[in-house]
Amino acid sequence: MLEIRDLDAAYGDIRVLSTVSLTVGAGEIVALLGPNGAGKSTLLNTVAGLLRPGRGTITFAGTDLARLHAHLIVEQGIALVPEGRRLFGGMTVEDNLELGAFAPRARAGRTAGLERVYTLFPDLLSRRRQLVRALSGGQQQMVAVGRALMTNPRLLMLDEPSLGIAPRLVASIMQSLVAINRTGVAVFLVEQNVPAALGLAHRAYVLESGRIALAGTAAELAADPHVRRAYLGPLAMRQ
Amino acid sequence: MTGRRERAWAAAILIALALLTALPRLIPRDSVINFVFLILLSITLAQSWNIVAGYAGQVNLGHAAFFGLGALVARTLWIGGRPIVTAMVAGAVVAVLFALLIGVAAFRLRGAYFAIGTLALGEILRTTVNNVLPEISTLPAATIATYSLTRRYYLALALAAVSVVAVTALAGSRLGLGMRAIREDEEAAEATGVGALRLKLTALALSTGLAGLAGGLFAFYHISYYPAHPFGPQWTFDALLMTFIGGVGTLHGPVLGAVLYVALKEYVALHWVDFHLLIFGALFIAIVLLLPGGLVQAAERVRRLRWG
Amino acid sequence: MSLLAQQLLLGLLIGGLYGLAAAGLSLVFGVMKVLDVAHGELIMLGGYGVVFVVALLGLDPFAALLIVIPLSLLLGAVLYWGLFGFVVRADEETRVKNSLLIGFGLALALHALAVQLWTADERSVVTPYAGAVVSVGPLTIPLVRLASLVIAFALIGGLHLLLARWRWGKAIRATAEDWQAAMLTGIDIRRAYLLAFAIGTALAGAAGTLVTIGYSVSPSIGLEWTLKALIVVVLAGLGSMLGTFVGGLLLGVAEAASAASFGGPYREVVGLVIFVVVLVVRPRGLFGR
Repeated sequence: MLEIRDLDAAYGDIRVLSTVSLTVGAGEIVALLGPNGAGKSTLLNTVAGLLRPGRGTITFAGTDLARLHAHLIVEQGIALVPEGRRLFGGMTVEDNLELGAFAPRARAGRTAGLERVYTLFPDLLSRRRQLVRALSGGQQQMVAVGRALMTNPRLLMLDEPSLGIAPRLVASIMQSLVAINRTGVAVFLVEQNVPAALGLAHRAYVLESGRIALAGTAAELAADPHVRRAYLGPLAMRQ
Repeated sequence: MTGRRERAWAAAILIALALLTALPRLIPRDSVINFVFLILLSITLAQSWNIVAGYAGQVNLGHAAFFGLGALVARTLWIGGRPIVTAMVAGAVVAVLFALLIGVAAFRLRGAYFAIGTLALGEILRTTVNNVLPEISTLPAATIATYSLTRRYYLALALAAVSVVAVTALAGSRLGLGMRAIREDEEAAEATGVGALRLKLTALALSTGLAGLAGGLFAFYHISYYPAHPFGPQWTFDALLMTFIGGVGTLHGPVLGAVLYVALKEYVALHWVDFHLLIFGALFIAIVLLLPGGLVQAAERVRRLRWG
Repeated sequence: MSLLAQQLLLGLLIGGLYGLAAAGLSLVFGVMKVLDVAHGELIMLGGYGVVFVVALLGLDPFAALLIVIPLSLLLGAVLYWGLFGFVVRADEETRVKNSLLIGFGLALALHALAVQLWTADERSVVTPYAGAVVSVGPLTIPLVRLASLVIAFALIGGLHLLLARWRWGKAIRATAEDWQAAMLTGIDIRRAYLLAFAIGTALAGAAGTLVTIGYSVSPSIGLEWTLKALIVVVLAGLGSMLGTFVGGLLLGVAEAASAASFGGPYREVVGLVIFVVVLVVRPRGLFGR
């Protein structure tokens, strides 16, 4: 469904991504792993339309995304939960969620969408009139995921969803991602917490210094010696 | 903005200025001399604004305040009997002192806030002077009788040369390097030990000192004017436009911009008397939209195209 | 004592217009990070608008608002498409610098145009009820200015509701907070910018109309009102339209108090001094976030 081929991306003169190729199929959960500064966020931001790509192609269900404005990419069915969540702090939970249904593809299903989000995250229902600023990190993450869901996506991308979240909440967020995936939404996940990510993904890629270093099923990567040493060993845990 | 190229430009401009000393003898027409005088005054004013904007990276919209202060002090001292150069220097000193006084507070502001903050300060000064000295200032008859345009012309030449030399020296110095570092990325510069506030204040002092001298020149040149006039925002905007047209942060930018701006304004004023400000405003907008870096950047772009 | 109270009252009445003038500027700056220093010229155009609508159509000047506001809305859209729309393509710092410069060019051009078309003389609109007053104790309240204050408040209240309830109003607020996140939510932020700028211009037009009705208009009120609006925006801070209105009232009263204490000429200066003090001491203003 999402097909990235030979993608280059740069910040001015600094090359961040080099000939990156990967795919995310419909209904899959795919994880993108790698050290800090490897370019994972850049990749997601480029797909979402926040950054302009260099050479290479990004296609989604046959449509070329490279020239589209970010809001039109949302209209195609791709939603990004950005790093740091980027919620509208001065507005209520419900306002944030409803804004998620701004695009035409999501407008009609707004009420049903809200119900879905409240069912998935019951904590938000009682807090829906509260200002997002006043919520805890974990609750804000729920709002962020919920807002992305409201866009009625076919592909949900998340940039470090477990960052800054208490460990026991991480598991619950991962579970909601599985539940979301079961409704047919593909998930593309950038995640530092490698065990959690490999635990729920079908396939995974490892990005190092802007290039794809490894690719395979989650099981294959979990067994790979390089991955184990760099990301799963005791040194990695200290990161 | 390499040192060598800047020095080449500086040399070229200074040679041109040296050649211009012959002008009053070659073309002894008052209209021509007045026209070139205006260009020279504008060069000084634009260069002075350029120091803070181009090298320290801040848009000072209250620049006219220092021009006005220089004019006010110089005029008062000169009419009171002091020699003009002493009066001008005194004007510059007052301008610098005022600048340092407000600079500490003003530099706490960033970006747009610094711009509008300085605009407000300039307006405060203008309004106050307007209230305290509402009457026109005219030279005594004896002075008018011995008015020598050539003398004022040479002074303007000298001042323009001083401003060019000052900016060249600044650009090549460690001071200039530090300022450019702040302009590019203030936080990074601070981290490497560049004392941002001190550098900005130094830039401000240089800038306002030059502006004060230019104000003194203005006071020397005009026979009569309202004391609040040189405090008016149009002097700031003129300096701004000129620097911008020619290219901010370059040595030659303000010079080119001043020549072009004054010439253009005179031409438009002569041919389209009624609409010249309107056309001017429109032209300026076009320039900002099409060439965000000014003409100098356009030249760079052409050069890069031709040589890959 | 009652003279002072009368002065303060008049200050309050014009303060409402300061607030309305500032609201448009605040909206544009808050959403687009564009500082439109030609805002005062837009107010001036609104002022001339009502003069001509009244002259041509014979309408009551307050009713002329119904024509001036839509026309200003249109003007704002045109200015965005033709001018400020290009400025927003740059990053924030360049955006601010470019918008300042373009604003100057625009202000210069509009001012010159006004002088050319309508001369530098002051104009005003005359109404049969111009001198009507209502007396409350020792105070005499000019009805026209009171009505203007009420209308200004109503417009700002309407704006507040628009931003709070209307779908695109929320989109505008979202864009103001975080334009990238807004894009990711499916909002076309260029449309949000266009709406914000058009509404800002409409508010300027309305302010200009009320200024002409209660006072007068001439080409030179542009810079003066830009500064007033700037002062109020800085005083009140960004993010609250109602806060901006209150900021305007405060400025009006402060000006009146200063004029009463130090004399007429210093009326202008106090505003600027407040401006600078607030900028340095509490940059985000009284009500800003």
